[in-house]
Amino acid sequence: MRVLDIPFMLRIIPELLRGIPVCLEITCVSMICGCLIGLATALFRIYKIPVLHQLSSVYISFMRGTPLLVQILITYYGVPVILRWINYKYGTKFDISGVPAVYFMFFCFSLCFGAYLSEMFRSAILSVDPGQMEACYSIGMTTPNALLRIILPQALTNAIPNMGNTFISLVKDTSLAFTAAVAEVMGQAKIVAGRSSKFFEAYIVAAVIYWIMCIFFEQILRRLEKFSRRFERDQGTSLKVNPAAHPKRTV
Amino acid sequence: MCEAQIICRLENIHKAFGQNQVLKGVDAEVRKGEALAILGPSGSGKTTLLRCINFLERADEGTIGIGGLKVDCKQVSKRNILNIRRKTAMVFQNFNLFKNKTIVENVMEGLVQVKKIPKNTAYAESIKLLTQVGLEEHVNYYPSQLSGGQQQRVGIARALILNPDVILLDEPTSALDPELVGEVLQTIKNLTHTGITMIIVTHEIHFAREVADQIIFMDEGIVVETGSPKDVIDNSQNPRTRQFLSRFTETLNKAAS
Ligand SMILES: Nc1ncnc2c1ncn2[C@@H]1O[C@H](COP(=O)(O)OP(=O)(O)OP(=O)(O)O)[C@@H](O)[C@H]1O
Ligand SMILES: [Mg+2]
Repeated sequence: MRVLDIPFMLRIIPELLRGIPVCLEITCVSMICGCLIGLATALFRIYKIPVLHQLSSVYISFMRGTPLLVQILITYYGVPVILRWINYKYGTKFDISGVPAVYFMFFCFSLCFGAYLSEMFRSAILSVDPGQMEACYSIGMTTPNALLRIILPQALTNAIPNMGNTFISLVKDTSLAFTAAVAEVMGQAKIVAGRSSKFFEAYIVAAVIYWIMCIFFEQILRRLEKFSRRFERDQGTSLKVNPAAHPKRTV
Repeated sequence: MCEAQIICRLENIHKAFGQNQVLKGVDAEVRKGEALAILGPSGSGKTTLLRCINFLERADEGTIGIGGLKVDCKQVSKRNILNIRRKTAMVFQNFNLFKNKTIVENVMEGLVQVKKIPKNTAYAESIKLLTQVGLEEHVNYYPSQLSGGQQQRVGIARALILNPDVILLDEPTSALDPELVGEVLQTIKNLTHTGITMIIVTHEIHFAREVADQIIFMDEGIVVETGSPKDVIDNSQNPRTRQFLSRFTETLNKAAS
């Protein structure tokens, strides 16, 4: 008896690969929306904007304090109920069954990762030297302008390593979307496995696909990080210091 | 001196941090084109006073008048805080250059974002000014790639380019290695001939005597003495001033012997 049916594994690869576009769609949409949500809520909290500040805190606490799987199931079963209620109450005609399940996932993952990103942005913004903001004020810049041009670019640089890790987590966590009948990589694996009862093989192939995707993204993120740190001193490219300051070096 | 020439007037400035009353009613006047040096022991409130002038700190009481705009610190609008800030510019002890911008971008920033001058004009002006402070070869470097003295000259250029009514300098050389102090002091000295108005907090007594038109000696949140460098540094009759200055003369005598 063989442990693994290798030919079967090779045969199902294309079918599992078909899940990748959905996986990337969820990842990218949620990352972008999550960043916007995270940035806004981080600023609400830092500047203590009345009402929005408290709402943001509750939102972040809830999202970070409940499992993503539970959030997905709540969205999957809850949104249709709410839409039906809205239809009933206001006589609107939202077509519930016409909304693809993947839209629900955009919604759910964006909210969830928005909360994690919010905490990241908040600490990144607070870690920017207060002297930078003072310098902006001293030349007469307004707060929004200072944030946009000086503080946020520096904060983002601080946040990029953490954001990269979040991105990788997000890629992997999209596998949970299969519970909401979304056919991403994991969903495809489950379908294939169910047909043949070769669960072990199908899930190993799925694991390898996730692994390769994550290695690929890690490479990209590493480059991005390096680029974002170009204005810091201990970077290889920054060794073009004024030669006059190093008289020993013959130029 | 006639009234019209006074470009900056502080009246009765009070500032407390919690229970700690740091400024206890400071008055000062600076005439256009004049360099005012503020001396005083550590903790006497010099930095706080300077920060109150451009509202990095909000004074509890008092009025600040700069270039025709007079505000009461108790009830100043956001708009007027911005207006006052746009009439002043600050040079910081630890430079505070924008880390994510190159040298020329640091200098341009105020022109483009605040004065709304077109980018290419702003660029040309910035390069011109950076050349004047001897940094034409470093315009595309990031601040972290420069020495402290070079960074501080950028800080001065960044303030100067806005052509403010008053430029505020808080111990511009005290974060520098001794061999870099000279180049920055020279840069500031050159400014005194351009007609720009300066308020400078410094521990460089010799420098103050040389470049300042007026000296204020502060201690424990009040102005102890005001006058020309001659009056305050060389011939002060005030015991507190003399005690403060004696420390410097002592070290100077030691160095000489
Ligand atoms: N943000 C702050 N919060 C609380 N206390 C402060 C703050 N800034 C300054 N102080 C206090 O105010 C007093 C005056 O400080 P300030 O920095 O104005 O003195 P200084 O004259 O500039 O001294 P130095 O010559 O050492 O720079 C000090 O006792 C200091 O502890
Ligand atoms: Mg000080």
